[in-house]
Amino acid sequence: MDNNFLVIENISKSFGDNKVLENINLNISKSEFFGLLGSSGSGKTTLLRILGGFEKPDTGRVILDGTDITNLEPFDRPLNYMFQSYALFPHLNVFNNLAFGIKENFTQKEIEINVRNIAELLSIEHLLNRRIKQLSGGEQQRVALGRCLIKKPKLLLLDEPLAALDKKLRSKTQLELTTLQKKLKITFVFVTHDQEEAMSLSDRMAIMKNGLILECSSPEEIYENPKSLYTANFIGIANIIEIYKKDENFYSDDLDINFKLNKELKKTQTKILLRPEKIKIQSINNLKTSLFNSFSGEILEKSYLGSFTRYEIKINKTIISVLDQNFNSNSNYNFPKGEKVICSWESESIKILED
Amino acid sequence: MKNKLFEKYFVFSPYFWLVLFFFIPLAIIFKISVSVSEWGMPPYQDIFLFDNGFEINTTFENYIYIFSDYYYIGSFVNSLILALISTFCCLLIGFPLAFYIATSNIRLRNILLVLVVIPFWSSFLLRVYAWKIILQNNGILNVILLNLGITSEPLQLLYNQYAVIMGIVYTYLPLMILPLYGYLNKFDLNLIEASKDLGLNRIKTFFKVILPLSVPGIVAGSLLVFIPVVGEFIIPEMLGGSDRLYYGKILWEEFFVNRNWPGASALAFSGIIILVLPIVIFQILYSRWSQKNEI
Repeated sequence: MDNNFLVIENISKSFGDNKVLENINLNISKSEFFGLLGSSGSGKTTLLRILGGFEKPDTGRVILDGTDITNLEPFDRPLNYMFQSYALFPHLNVFNNLAFGIKENFTQKEIEINVRNIAELLSIEHLLNRRIKQLSGGEQQRVALGRCLIKKPKLLLLDEPLAALDKKLRSKTQLELTTLQKKLKITFVFVTHDQEEAMSLSDRMAIMKNGLILECSSPEEIYENPKSLYTANFIGIANIIEIYKKDENFYSDDLDINFKLNKELKKTQTKILLRPEKIKIQSINNLKTSLFNSFSGEILEKSYLGSFTRYEIKINKTIISVLDQNFNSNSNYNFPKGEKVICSWESESIKILED
Repeated sequence: MKNKLFEKYFVFSPYFWLVLFFFIPLAIIFKISVSVSEWGMPPYQDIFLFDNGFEINTTFENYIYIFSDYYYIGSFVNSLILALISTFCCLLIGFPLAFYIATSNIRLRNILLVLVVIPFWSSFLLRVYAWKIILQNNGILNVILLNLGITSEPLQLLYNQYAVIMGIVYTYLPLMILPLYGYLNKFDLNLIEASKDLGLNRIKTFFKVILPLSVPGIVAGSLLVFIPVVGEFIIPEMLGGSDRLYYGKILWEEFFVNRNWPGASALAFSGIIILVLPIVIFQILYSRWSQKNEI
């Protein structure tokens, strides 16, 4: 796979004194669905706007398919940008919105055919004569997508593509978007603040914070083996525990238990991540706490989430989150509040954070 | 109940104002315009006579008189042309300014808006007079041009139609900028970026996106400039020459110099009808169009 389809090289950008991006480097492959995930102010949208040509970077280069596009105007770039607000033209109907970018270079007949094809692809054929204000949010999203795709871009940039949709529509559209992307094999780079969205859409994703890329990897890798504390907390629910070396083992003051790690650790003190679904929860009658990787605690809070139950378990002064899958009716999903339980985990589930 | 009545009165008070200060005077003007002129005070005869029973004493002579003399029609046409040119110039200068103000950051925007409005705080007459001082033969502009050696003798900048147009554009520019700004302020800048992203350069983006979406602001600003300029009297009087007669001037002369009140009223009334009717028709068509296009 061509790993250098889109190369972002040493990109920095400041607005006045405010450093928005610092030395960003990314390589994105052809036909990849790439996510930029970060909270607001992380610089993700600025990076996307630099790719779109709406902002000029202070330093660095953007190379798309072998061509340096850093100094090209938006209208000279072989890519398209889908705006968060969709930015559909209110004075044109759906047909003319779709045809907007191809009117120049095509004959009337070709325009007609192209618009029909793209409308069919996105199943919006019945909307072609509508005005933009008569469309629902989901329909507007499709028109905005179609308006870009009709240009057959090498790269499609999407700014919070699903943020304006309601929850149910969002998960449906998520699926459609990935299917569409795999079918068209166009490289997608999108920005989101929603970690679930980033995980479900991306082939690979980058976590951004304060203008830096903290990590860049597949969603699985980032969820299971985050390197930084920030990423661990940002993606999913995280139990962060501080441990230090005591005798031969690692010990946590907060939990007052010993940890057994499955690999050597040079540092004498570190933070570890324990994902809530990796923790097994059992009735205290069944078992005794073992020496390592388990504790007994009291259920402080529980929330039934359908397929899962989330427990907040108190041990010493710390609260540990546990997600317990509700296998069947006589499973243990109905631990009541206040019940003493035993929690345990495999030593492989303990992830050591680098900072 | 009392409150309701008050509300009604409050809501309709602009209409009372309009009836009191627009429609009643208009009716009076119409009345005078169809009455027979005579020497005296007032210089026209009553339209209802009760000397030998009841008699209606009206005439359309005044209308026939002004419409048969090119002196009146020509001056009206001159005024229309002047208003068209001035409105177009205001639009040409005002649109980029309004767009710039609307898209600049909030601090700069407020400063620029104040700068646009500031001239209103000084007397209109003084401002026009200031232009006279700038443009006259030994005025600032000519002195500068002479000293720079660009011209060898003073240019005749004053007392021609260009001076008039300049004075009008200067005076009426805020009336173009403010409604345009009000409209462009709400303009979604993403639309411009979207257009560029879809391959249209700046000029094409202007004509395909910015201009069509600014039509309501352009219409509002243009009407606000065009209508008063047609009747403008002071600026042509102070900056214009005798080569070209304008409607406002003719009206003034007919009324105060010739003391032909019925003729002047007929002229005023015809002017209003000729101006207002097309604008009303235009507004109806335009509101239908914009409803259809949902701008």
